[in-house]
Amino acid sequence: MADQFIFWVAAIVAIIAAIRVVILKNAVLSVLHLIVTLIALAVLFLQLSAEFIAALQIIVYAGAIMVLFLFIVMLLNLRKDEFGRDQLPWLRLLGTLAGAAFLAELISLIGGGRVMAATVPDGFGSVRSIGIALFGEYMFPFELTSLLLVAAVLAAVVVARRKSSNEVDAAPPAGSEGEA
Amino acid sequence: MTPFNLTQFYADWATILPECFLLLWACVITGAAVLGRTDESKSGTFAIWTIIGTLATAVWVAVTQDGAAFGGTFVFDRLAVVFKEVILAGVILTAAASVGTVSRLRAHRGEYYGMILFSAVGMMLMVSATELLTLYIALELSTVTLFVLAAYHKTNRKSAEAGLKYVILGGISSAILLYGVAILYGLTGTTELARISQGIQRQFMASGSFPPGLALALLLILAGFGFKLALAPFHMWAPDVYEGAPTPITAFLSVASKAAALAAFLRVFFVGGQPAQLIWIQAIAALAALAMIVGNATAIVQTNIKRMLAYSSVAQIGYMLVGAVALDPWGATSISYYAMAYLFANMGAFVCVIAFAERTGSEEISDFSGLSRRSPILAGFFALFLLSLAGVPPTAGFLAKYYVFAAAIQKGYLWLVLVGVATSVVALYYYATVIMKMYFPAEQTEGGFPVARTLTIVLAVSALGVLLLGILPGPVVDWIKAAAQSFVPPT
Repeated sequence: MADQFIFWVAAIVAIIAAIRVVILKNAVLSVLHLIVTLIALAVLFLQLSAEFIAALQIIVYAGAIMVLFLFIVMLLNLRKDEFGRDQLPWLRLLGTLAGAAFLAELISLIGGGRVMAATVPDGFGSVRSIGIALFGEYMFPFELTSLLLVAAVLAAVVVARRKSSNEVDAAPPAGSEGEA
Repeated sequence: MTPFNLTQFYADWATILPECFLLLWACVITGAAVLGRTDESKSGTFAIWTIIGTLATAVWVAVTQDGAAFGGTFVFDRLAVVFKEVILAGVILTAAASVGTVSRLRAHRGEYYGMILFSAVGMMLMVSATELLTLYIALELSTVTLFVLAAYHKTNRKSAEAGLKYVILGGISSAILLYGVAILYGLTGTTELARISQGIQRQFMASGSFPPGLALALLLILAGFGFKLALAPFHMWAPDVYEGAPTPITAFLSVASKAAALAAFLRVFFVGGQPAQLIWIQAIAALAALAMIVGNATAIVQTNIKRMLAYSSVAQIGYMLVGAVALDPWGATSISYYAMAYLFANMGAFVCVIAFAERTGSEEISDFSGLSRRSPILAGFFALFLLSLAGVPPTAGFLAKYYVFAAAIQKGYLWLVLVGVATSVVALYYYATVIMKMYFPAEQTEGGFPVARTLTIVLAVSALGVLLLGILPGPVVDWIKAAAQSFVPPT
């Protein structure tokens, strides 16, 4: 009973906050609502006995990543008039339709009764079981992520290094070339 | 969990030796450049030697190792060998073609080659991945440095725009792909392609229908790959990115990165999605037809040669996927052969654009007028590559189209082949327009110019590839066919 109650509260909060993330004009408020969504999702993860994921959700997503989001939004400091007008209004309609179709698909999936509740083994979602999966079965992709991070950091360094004074590319004669 | 086994450990690492070797030197080149400890003009030579070394290690691994590593998440099978060589050939040609472009950069020269090598590591891992997580991470690794490379002329508006567009659309497409992967994992409880295939089959046997959501998962994955392959209707980013990026990077994007995505596509759909072919094969046929029509129809009206080639490569991917509707070894062979033919022809065509732009500073199709007088060699090469892209015998492009069409006809997809043939005629029109402009100009343009030596070598190698594949396809086709038979499950 209490379980049901918590589920419905968390689910409704998550959905309302998610909708507000999309429709709010103020970017800072959008980010704050996204945090609410993520925390509500963390509650749902807890109910699915995925404690570790729930903790990660709060620490990494609601914590670290959202702080980054907030910083960037505030650094950009966009005013309302800088958003400009909606240049492709039909895209909004198309997006809504696609979203509705996706929702219908998901509802038919879950409502169709063909998705069975699974019984999970003991210790499911614990740090131990995730650790074993991560360093056992998924050791190779896990190691690859470190490589991915190295590449991403190097790429970021290359693109973000301060323009040195001589970095005016020697332009070829005509201006039309993409390589100028 | 299996206990630790030292022999297995060594065997695993020996199998990924080519990637490790490449990675090591990618780090050295990038690191030396970032720390400013190198004569940056040497980086290109280093990069090319690195790739040659990687090729050598790859051959050693192919000969000595049995091929599977890390519990089967990484395989070095014959398909991987074929595509790794295509990718490495693409990287070598790109690196050689970059010399002029890089020498005109005033800063960050060494990192340029480092980034290309990092991307190559990702692509090589991608064609070997038989497990969706590995595949996804390898795919990210191959694109994350490409974002930077596309925006390498960051003071140039178009290049910066290209980088930004590529980042945003690349990110979204990865998310879509990952969503599909997640659903597939939810349905089958595994990320290994062979076991996904078994899982789908088992559920089909048990209930007489596919598990719910399978169509959604496969279509999301298809859309994700569609972005990477610039397949219509997911090709919107390609023309802008191709136009804005430095031309060698455009060539790299359109050749190596597509080859890697294509190999991954073959593995996911020919192995993992094979039992569910009823779901996706019609979708692929429709997308292939759409790509051929949209790509070719839009290419006609382009005035910028890079944009024209961008749209033409959208169409080329459409032709390749025609081979995918024949879900058998022959289909996989035709696709791989097409990828090889396309590698040389498209790489060559872009290198012609580089050579032309280096001397004239223009990328407009109208400026190619009278090129046969100004630089007969360049005009000849360009005509050859365009004819191969159009599919005119005796070039590789002709046989490539023939093979994919034959594979599709075998399975009764006559309408798709008819679309392919009709659009090929359209394609021939715009390729021939450029050739006509070069050889029969309306007015004479003056000023001959030579082609840089490295570019001439790249052009000659590409031309040799196009002609050899077209005239003596036998050994290559046998080689690819053996690879295809080894990985496509019997139907």
